[in-house]
Amino acid sequence: MTDFALDKPGKSRRPDLLAYATLSLISAFCAVPFFWVLLASLDGNAQLFLSWPREWTLNNYVRVFAEEDGARWVFNSLFVVGSATLLVMVLAGLGGYALSRTRAWWKQPFLYAILLIRVLPPTALVVPLYKILLTLNNIEGNLVRIFVGGDTARAIMRWIGFIDGYLGLILVLATMQLPLALWIMKTFFDGLPRDYEEAAVMDGATMLQRIRRVLIPLALPGLAAAGLFAFISAWGDFLLPLILLSSPELQTLPLGLFRAFLRVNTIDYGFLAALAFIYLMPAVIAFGFARRFLVQTFSGGVKG
Amino acid sequence: MINLRNVRKFYGALEVIKGVDITVEDGEFAVFVGPSGCGKSTLLRMIAGLEGIDEGDLILNGKRINDVPPDKRGIAMVFQSYALYPHMTVAENIGFSLSLKKVPVAEIKRQVGDVAEILQLTDYLDRRPAALSGGQRQRVAIGRAIIKKPSLILFDEPLSNLDSALRVQMRAELQRLHRELKATVVYVTHDQVEAMTMADRIVVLNKGTVAQAGHPMDLYHSPDNEFVATFIGSPKMNILPVTLSRPDAGKLRLENADGLAISLADGGANVAVGEAKLGIRPEHLKVSLGGQGDFSAEVVIVERLGVETYLAVGSPKDPIVVRAEGDLSIRPGDRVSLTVDLSACHLFDSNGLVIRRPQTL
Ligand SMILES: Nc1ncnc2c1ncn2[C@@H]1O[C@H](COP(=O)(O)OP(=O)(O)O)[C@@H](O)[C@H]1O
Ligand SMILES: [Mg+2]
Repeated sequence: MTDFALDKPGKSRRPDLLAYATLSLISAFCAVPFFWVLLASLDGNAQLFLSWPREWTLNNYVRVFAEEDGARWVFNSLFVVGSATLLVMVLAGLGGYALSRTRAWWKQPFLYAILLIRVLPPTALVVPLYKILLTLNNIEGNLVRIFVGGDTARAIMRWIGFIDGYLGLILVLATMQLPLALWIMKTFFDGLPRDYEEAAVMDGATMLQRIRRVLIPLALPGLAAAGLFAFISAWGDFLLPLILLSSPELQTLPLGLFRAFLRVNTIDYGFLAALAFIYLMPAVIAFGFARRFLVQTFSGGVKG
Repeated sequence: MINLRNVRKFYGALEVIKGVDITVEDGEFAVFVGPSGCGKSTLLRMIAGLEGIDEGDLILNGKRINDVPPDKRGIAMVFQSYALYPHMTVAENIGFSLSLKKVPVAEIKRQVGDVAEILQLTDYLDRRPAALSGGQRQRVAIGRAIIKKPSLILFDEPLSNLDSALRVQMRAELQRLHRELKATVVYVTHDQVEAMTMADRIVVLNKGTVAQAGHPMDLYHSPDNEFVATFIGSPKMNILPVTLSRPDAGKLRLENADGLAISLADGGANVAVGEAKLGIRPEHLKVSLGGQGDFSAEVVIVERLGVETYLAVGSPKDPIVVRAEGDLSIRPGDRVSLTVDLSACHLFDSNGLVIRRPQTL
């Protein structure tokens, strides 16, 4: 009995070691670039090649926020990408539910049609998109100027403008991310038995109670996955902000990074590394946050 | 008491419930049984209010409830998947309907405690459904139903997710609960053994119609038609094609190609002669090696279980199944004589409807 009990862990130790060794190697491989960037950003005299910093300094970070408009870029990026992600989660949650439950004949054609948005390269869409947005922007601008004068109008358009305004970029980023999110949520709701909702109906839950107390909690893992993909993909988008934004106050982080790269005659690796590290953080944090929901097992009520 | 009167349901042009009349008395354990796709779930969901009723009346305790919303009918349902919310604890799951009604927290806690007591779930109230066994989840699902003090509880194949040992145990437990709660139950299953063991009244459904309703033993002993005859009972009733003739008044003669020849009193019923079917259960055929019988046949398969022996005799494609008490040392290829228990055989016309012979059955 005792022998048997001791035997088991002993036997599995070797494969365990192997698994851990492999996993460590993979994580080291993944982590090296992060450390590289972190090291370089803390190096007073960073070069293209990795070296142990001889003088440690936070100076690069200070420069990002004090000399450059770093705080503004971070805010712009977080605000635009965060709003787009929120919009995607709401629309994909509602739309995915509807697409999963409907028996309409246009369901399949619609699902494949929206994938086209994703399949077409954004670069090819840029010109027609710009034209449409510009037209909308002009109409909107004229409308706004009916009610308020020059400077106020410009301030308002910075928020709700389609070109060189937050709203336009948020809508376009959300549109790009919506198809995949809709597919994720549709597939997710397909796997969620109707029984949950019907049980709630039998218990006397209103439509709102059903959504808030049953569907949203059940859909959280799916929403987290859809939101994570949307956030990371929109966070990394460079082309759309480059084209749609021109005011310096609206610049996002990747644009700031890009302009800093171009502007100085000699490349300042420490400064760039600090910017890059700041740029990395939200994606890592978003992943860490969503992971909790992604791994949440679902075995409980779904399968017996 | 629940009453269905000429109830119909259409999915588009497809009629899935074809004019059904069913009555379930107060405190009864009624089982709707039938093959998959016959409309059991649809019928149950119509009673629950999850599906509309296209025609007919649904009457609960004297009130027509066709248009009453599901939560106002006083009916609770236990789903096949249990539909326990994985993000809520057992207590929250059981108390969900009360919390929707804004019942004070202390009162919910008290009632959940009472229900948990009945279902032996007191120690698990803080767990999530994921941390429960199949049988415990089943009990939570029942708890969620009975906390509403419904006048009728509906079950849709509640045991089909459990393994067979647990199924037997839960069958007994459900019967115990039914006795303690004195609730009226409508229980849906495709498993005739479940129906036979639990029901006070069985409703056999076939293709959207009621094939027969009654006490389990009524269905076993006097089925109305070939469908019920072969659906109830395991192994199922043998159906032999026979030719009916009337050599003398008051006598019926049955013959078939295998040399079966038996005489029955026709009991005054005006039975039409010609093609018919003889239904005989495996337990109502007596087997002997050699000797006299109503007919003889070659043994194809032998299953010796010790306490009983099953034989398949006749043509290998469409054998007649025979159940014999005890252990018989018969081997495939042997020839056996079979005697029909005349008091227990059934006659069906070519449409599968029973031919009743009042005095002999
Ligand atoms: N929503 C629906 N639309 C169309 N046909 C349906 C729908 N639901 C069930 N059916 C059909 O109705 C019949 C009865 O189904 P159901 O009540 O689920 O059978 P059971 O529970 O007895 O297996 C089946 O033939 C099924 O295909
Ligand atoms: Mg069913």
